[in-house]
Amino acid sequence: MLNDIFIKPFADMAAAPDFLLQVLWEGLVSGILYALIALGFVLIYRSSRIFNFAQGIMVVFAALTLVGLHALGIPAWISVALTLAVMFALAVTIERVVLRPLVGQPDIILFMATIGITLFLIGGGEIIFGGENKVMITEELGIPTGSVLLEPWGGLLILEQKDITAVLVAAALVVALLVFLNRTRMGRAIRALGDDHQAALSVGISLQTVWVLVWFIAGIIALVTGIAWGARAGVSFALEVIAYKALPVLMLGGLESITGAIIGGLMIGMLEKLFEIYWGQPLLGGNTETWFAFVLALVVLLFRPQGLFGERIIERV
Amino acid sequence: MITLKRLGTAVAMTALLATGALAEGLYAPNLAYRTGPFAATGIPLMNGQKDYMELLNARDGGIGGILIDFDECETGYSTEKGVECYEKTKGQAIVTQPWSTGITLQVLPKTNVDQIPILAPGYGFSPMADGKVFQWAFNIPLSYWDGASILLKYLEEQGDLSGKKIAFLHLDHPFGKEPLPFMEQEAEKKGFELLPIPVGLKEMQNQSAQWLQIRRERPDYVIMWGWGAMNAGAITEAVKTKFPMENMLGVWWAGHDADLKLVGEDGRGYKSVSWSFPNPDAPIMADLKTHVVDPGKTQSDAEEMSGVFYSRGLVISMILGEGIRVAQEHAGTPEITPADLRWGLENLDITEARLEELGMTGMVPPFKTSCANHTGHSGGWILEWDGAKFVKATNLIMPDAEAIAPLEAQAAKDYAEANAPWPANDACQM
Repeated sequence: MLNDIFIKPFADMAAAPDFLLQVLWEGLVSGILYALIALGFVLIYRSSRIFNFAQGIMVVFAALTLVGLHALGIPAWISVALTLAVMFALAVTIERVVLRPLVGQPDIILFMATIGITLFLIGGGEIIFGGENKVMITEELGIPTGSVLLEPWGGLLILEQKDITAVLVAAALVVALLVFLNRTRMGRAIRALGDDHQAALSVGISLQTVWVLVWFIAGIIALVTGIAWGARAGVSFALEVIAYKALPVLMLGGLESITGAIIGGLMIGMLEKLFEIYWGQPLLGGNTETWFAFVLALVVLLFRPQGLFGERIIERV
Repeated sequence: MITLKRLGTAVAMTALLATGALAEGLYAPNLAYRTGPFAATGIPLMNGQKDYMELLNARDGGIGGILIDFDECETGYSTEKGVECYEKTKGQAIVTQPWSTGITLQVLPKTNVDQIPILAPGYGFSPMADGKVFQWAFNIPLSYWDGASILLKYLEEQGDLSGKKIAFLHLDHPFGKEPLPFMEQEAEKKGFELLPIPVGLKEMQNQSAQWLQIRRERPDYVIMWGWGAMNAGAITEAVKTKFPMENMLGVWWAGHDADLKLVGEDGRGYKSVSWSFPNPDAPIMADLKTHVVDPGKTQSDAEEMSGVFYSRGLVISMILGEGIRVAQEHAGTPEITPADLRWGLENLDITEARLEELGMTGMVPPFKTSCANHTGHSGGWILEWDGAKFVKATNLIMPDAEAIAPLEAQAAKDYAEANAPWPANDACQM
């Protein structure tokens, strides 16, 4: 037993390094997509202290809107632009109809409101788009669909071109977000609101404008995530459950940390894949990805309740 | 006071309307799932079921002169919601159609008390075939163990299974685990290695770990017990992993045109066992166009109606319709009770001649039920994806009854003992 836990997995890794690379690559692709979803959560939480339960359904809604618009005969990239317009309209509507009337209410009320938004988007989405699985317009968007075959150490490494594209686009989006948040006036406003609402309001930062902006950015992230996941296995409401994988990422990385979301996502993506392949499948019958990330996050919380990169909050009693 | 009066009037009106609605026909609720992660599988099936009943109501005035009140209660494939739907509809229902193995297992003991037939065509608990033990449950025309047996027989036709490795990729859910006892028995008997690979509900669209395991283990065949979004996820991963498609086979719920259209030509060679097949030239399709499609009563479209799942929905409602007809003839009245319907479902004899009368030739194999045989064990075809649609790849293959029957009897006995006191149908002398 000890051999199976401590020796054999590492021996297997050394015996088939090409396979280990494949495992790490698959983990990286999953991880960067987890990180993207987690970023959507973090942005909204930082600026408004709202835990946005609707982030997962926003991924589905954005992807379905894109596919639905294209199905009407609209060219792919115009469909992307129109989808962004829809996500902007959604952000404005959420701010006006849901968030603005709830300013000053306890956090839990705002959280419950996002559950309401989730249910509304599920119902509305199913009425508008139907529940059938749809094909993502991968080729129409110019995303390459072939695979790159490499032979490291005489083995085989298969890299899907759409996965490579997803990783590159996600990385570019993360860099763009970091630049936006750190180098622009509006980005600093978002961070200021996250640090201290009262102080930010007192220097003239508009709460409404920032909220619309962060929900719109979360919408953009949702669209990119929806395209990437949808290209892998189609677009359906099943995509929503992938968003729950972002919860342990947030627990691990901290709810307020953009760096935490990125590193947490990558860590969970790769570690859960390594654990599943080298320990979960041989020793536990597989399907450990369902719980591994949560257990890992719980272990981290035992030692760092604020997550790896979260801010330590001390409240006086 | 006025408000109270209004409220009272509203309640009375609602009750009256509800009674009126139910009095319009035989209440046959369907615990449907048109929403949620499994909707892609559910929608064409539900549309087929509903359209068949619409057709009978519009063309024939129902069955035996009484309309069928075919109502849907949405479960989203959730077991909890399914049980709620069962409780909500059971009062007036002549049948319950639970539409998930999880829901079926939950309501199975309840139907014994409520005395309502469970109609679970091609799903549910395989030992329900034993009508003496499961007197209210029907999984016509094939059980999951039948399906697994047909797939193994087909593979044996390709070559001896001894020494081969078969990966069993399944949803980590009661449905996905259902064939495991039979597969394990057959692995021991036939000498192949069975490699069960579970797919969690949250991992349906991200099966890279499962397919990495398949790449590492190099199985000769992959048998997929998938439902909903799991099918598309698995097939796209199989293409990506370059697993030979001709060595990948699925249960009948993993043979959905829409899932294969995601990969198109790359999916050529993939196979699925099926007890139903679309026949666009069948007279029933023309009748559907006249009485259901043209008057705008369908939620389906031409593409979906030409697919395997819509066609299967029609067959499922045909089974219920025939059960009602046989029950009416036996009871001597169109207004049958759930107990009458149970008799009807136990005395189905769907021959080629009857299928021709129904305008459904070639859409389902002939089968016959009895008080002891609640499945019918019709046999199934292996369908193959040709890059654009499913085509029949084999003639009818019958399940291995000798291998299944003892396991069924033992599992039924174990279930009855675990749920004692469990009423058996001692009157059945077959």
